[in-house]
Amino acid sequence: MKARVAVLIFPGTNSEAETLRILRDVGVHAELVHWSRGETLPQYDAYVLPGGFAYEDRIRAGAIPAHDRMMDDVITGAQKGKLVLGICNGAQILLEAGLVPGTGPIRRPTAAFTHNAPVPHFICKHVYVKLAIEPARCAITAALEKNTLIPTWAAHGQGRLAATAAHLDEIGAGGHLAFVYAHADGTTDTSATPNGSALGCAALTNREGNVLAIMPHPERDAWNFNHADHREGDDILVPSGGAALFRSFARALA
Amino acid sequence: MGLSDDDLRVAAMRAGSTLRVDELRRIAQQFGRDPSLVELHAFDAQWSEHCSYKSSRHHLQKLPTTGERVVVGVGEDAGIVHLGEHNGERYGIVVAHESHNHPSQVVPFEGAATGVGGIVRDVLCMGAEVIAVADALRFGNAANPESHQRYVAQTVVDGISAYGNAIGVPNITGDVYFHDGFDDNCLVNVIALGIVKENEIIHSAAPKGSAGWDIVLVGKATDPSGFGGASFSSVTLAAEDEDANKGAVQVPDPFLKNVLMRASYRVFAYLRERLDEMKKNGTSFEKGVPEVIGDLAGFKDLGAGGIMGCSAEICSAGGYGADINLDNVNVAVPNLPPEIIAIGETQERLIWVLPPEITPDVLRIYNEEFTLPEVAYNARAAVIGTVTEAPHYVLHHAGEVVMDVDIEFLTGSIKDELPFVMPAPSEDLGEPAHNPYKPAPDWRRVEKLLETELSNPDSCSREPLYRHYDTVVRGATVVARGAGEAGVLAPIPGSKLGVALAVSGNPRYGEIDPSRAGEFAVVEAVRKVIAVGARPIALTDCLNFGNPKNPEQYGQFIAGIDGLADAARELAIPFVSGNVSLYNESSSGAAIPASPIIACIGAIDDITNVATRRLREQNPHLIFLGSHGSFRRIDYEIERNMQALLIEAFQRGLIIAACVVNGDGILEALTKMIFKDGSRIRHEVDLTDCNHEDLLENAGRTAELESDYFLAAAEGWILEIADPSETYREFIEFAEHYMILAERDWINLNFVHEGNGLRIPVPEGEELRPFDHLYEAWMKPLAEIYP
Repeated sequence: MKARVAVLIFPGTNSEAETLRILRDVGVHAELVHWSRGETLPQYDAYVLPGGFAYEDRIRAGAIPAHDRMMDDVITGAQKGKLVLGICNGAQILLEAGLVPGTGPIRRPTAAFTHNAPVPHFICKHVYVKLAIEPARCAITAALEKNTLIPTWAAHGQGRLAATAAHLDEIGAGGHLAFVYAHADGTTDTSATPNGSALGCAALTNREGNVLAIMPHPERDAWNFNHADHREGDDILVPSGGAALFRSFARALA
Repeated sequence: MGLSDDDLRVAAMRAGSTLRVDELRRIAQQFGRDPSLVELHAFDAQWSEHCSYKSSRHHLQKLPTTGERVVVGVGEDAGIVHLGEHNGERYGIVVAHESHNHPSQVVPFEGAATGVGGIVRDVLCMGAEVIAVADALRFGNAANPESHQRYVAQTVVDGISAYGNAIGVPNITGDVYFHDGFDDNCLVNVIALGIVKENEIIHSAAPKGSAGWDIVLVGKATDPSGFGGASFSSVTLAAEDEDANKGAVQVPDPFLKNVLMRASYRVFAYLRERLDEMKKNGTSFEKGVPEVIGDLAGFKDLGAGGIMGCSAEICSAGGYGADINLDNVNVAVPNLPPEIIAIGETQERLIWVLPPEITPDVLRIYNEEFTLPEVAYNARAAVIGTVTEAPHYVLHHAGEVVMDVDIEFLTGSIKDELPFVMPAPSEDLGEPAHNPYKPAPDWRRVEKLLETELSNPDSCSREPLYRHYDTVVRGATVVARGAGEAGVLAPIPGSKLGVALAVSGNPRYGEIDPSRAGEFAVVEAVRKVIAVGARPIALTDCLNFGNPKNPEQYGQFIAGIDGLADAARELAIPFVSGNVSLYNESSSGAAIPASPIIACIGAIDDITNVATRRLREQNPHLIFLGSHGSFRRIDYEIERNMQALLIEAFQRGLIIAACVVNGDGILEALTKMIFKDGSRIRHEVDLTDCNHEDLLENAGRTAELESDYFLAAAEGWILEIADPSETYREFIEFAEHYMILAERDWINLNFVHEGNGLRIPVPEGEELRPFDHLYEAWMKPLAEIYP
């Protein structure tokens, strides 16, 4: 039977429609699951947490939704090895839930995506991210080529990875740093990072490699029409660019 | 009744009313008694300029508003224009355009945020999914970091960003100007777009046969905020009243709005299901089987005048009255006086008119499925009254009738005939006041002048500002904000249809000649929409002017409308929505520059053929199409021909990048196209390699001023024509069918190559001046205000 994927909606989520759409366009059987319908969550084989401002970013982005009832099922599922992909606010929630980097206890975050630096302000900017681990290190990236470059949009006020120096070392050494910000030509220097994120971090994975938390949005640059002046092939409606990550996610489910 | 004029004026003022003595007497005469306090406040709101358009409506009638694509014209909360068909369904674009100028001046963050919140509800309540917002901003001189003007400029953007980002609607286009004339009175105009199937439109009216139906209030708990907002926006701002004015500004809650929007989309889907079911079973209401969703429900945004204004207007629009019990309104604080519950402008609320058999399910969707009461304190959907056959507007509170008036008298049109003095029309204006162009005898100075112009606050990069906005949420973006002359979306999943939106309105033109400024606002917005490959299909306007009681300022307003009407008629594009904002002046009596601000909506049949400003080829084929000079009288014959040429050329896929030249120099516009690659510049402009004589003849200039040519004002488009060269020849041959070529209104700009910088002729030979410092100069001014 084909794997079923739940796209979670918390109060304040705002990127559910395009996330659902790209998942379906790359062949994933995905459905929206709303916060008042959370009891169905255990039936799903994988979870996607889309972007937004769940619970209004109160306290800190992701802090309140990490304690939402829906996250009980996501955490249980992740511990059983189900795939979990969090994008932007979804990534913040996964950190606050302690699922990534996953080196500490559940719901006791060891690192956070927090206020951008040097200017602690929302930023919306087209950026590239580069795969910084061996593709197979994370199930969700396993079907990507080594060093894959993916076009995305950074659109967040709290996207800077922050942790103690020792923990950042652990993140690097443990192979948790899944994607780093890069220029269009694949080079990585600090000017490629839009938010002052430690290690140039754009995405983190857990030790088991079944959970991926990515700050910028691959689903917003995921069809030819999203980048009309450099499309791949003639059909303007076909998935391309950021769709690569969702294709790899689909492959991991198969 | 029975008071002298002076005593009446004092009594009205004490009661907090801004109505004039003659208006108060008219009300009392109609009633045959003194109005109650609630009634007084109700008329205060309904008869304010903000709601009644009493001094503007008769002039607005000059604007063309009809056309074959118009689905819902001016008069409802938003206009709707036909976009195209997909899978046999007709789709419409919903558009609304409003100002939130006074609130944004007094409390910039909340004022600007609630501006976005209000415009989004206007679009939502037509049964549409909200797909985009845009903003047109006019700030005072914000150069001084310590100034209040800087604070307003920053905080307005923060407010728009905080609201739009949270609700998940992309900000796809906009503009900003800085001008001393806005020092005491900024302008915050917002535009919103929605998409709707044309047979699923819900109107801002109680449907036919809806007597006895429920009036359902949904959203935030009513609180004392925003009391008197409508009449507040119809007075002039005085510094000493600032604290009192603050209470009139509403408090935004984008988090609740996010949920409210999604819950409403769910209600739309539910209504579709119910309609299908009723059609299948032949279930009917007393007055017949419903055909479309609009027969099942009315939906309207609460704006000015609060519950009273919205419920009275939605019922009166259907030819009905209303009977409402204020005790059923969910409130945030106990013991609110009835006039505040009825007329206060608490945000994030809408009113449904629903048949009683459908109401319980709608309440369940809002209150249980989307848990409104848990999302914000005491937010909910609740039945507050009934649509009545009798044409009365009746409010109950604590067991008493606190308002009972003829609903037509309350919502019907009133008119103020005020004296006006028309501004003198200007014949040949030359360039607008900010123009820095001077004859430049040597090419090295060209670079200097270019730097001056690129770092001018009016023409520098807008990127530092719009980076604060989420411009791409929803994933439907085709041309993101700043990438092209207009924002472009693919609003229907699986369809190649596109919608474009551009805004325009140069206050420096408004200062010189309000009428021609109106014409230019229309023409520029249309040119922008064409420059992304769209066909212009509709216009909206927001008329931001001074005090109508000042005959000169009122004359500017009338002249502005004349200009808009002329241009729209010449280009055959209808207005489908609009708004008027008067009393934009400081307490010293200085009016803002006349500011007719225009948005143009464009339709794209196939988004494969859109263009951004970014040059596609390393050695691009470029031409300039247009004329020299700026703010000259528009020759509409030539304009129509140029526009027709471009629309068709885009459809043939001949144009791959485009930029509008808006009274700036050709070199400046070309430079900005090159800067669209960001700091990684990959083009060189080789000024040693261009055909000067051809250019100069076109510019009407003499050879000794040759360097001036590139900087001198011009208007039109710079176009990159598709490679290979057959396509280029096709374009030229095609263009030759148009008389414009005979008018010399185009020139080759084939001197842009791979590289980085300006290559200029100097006495010693030639010099390459890299672009990098010009790029920095271009980015810097707004980066200082919006770090």
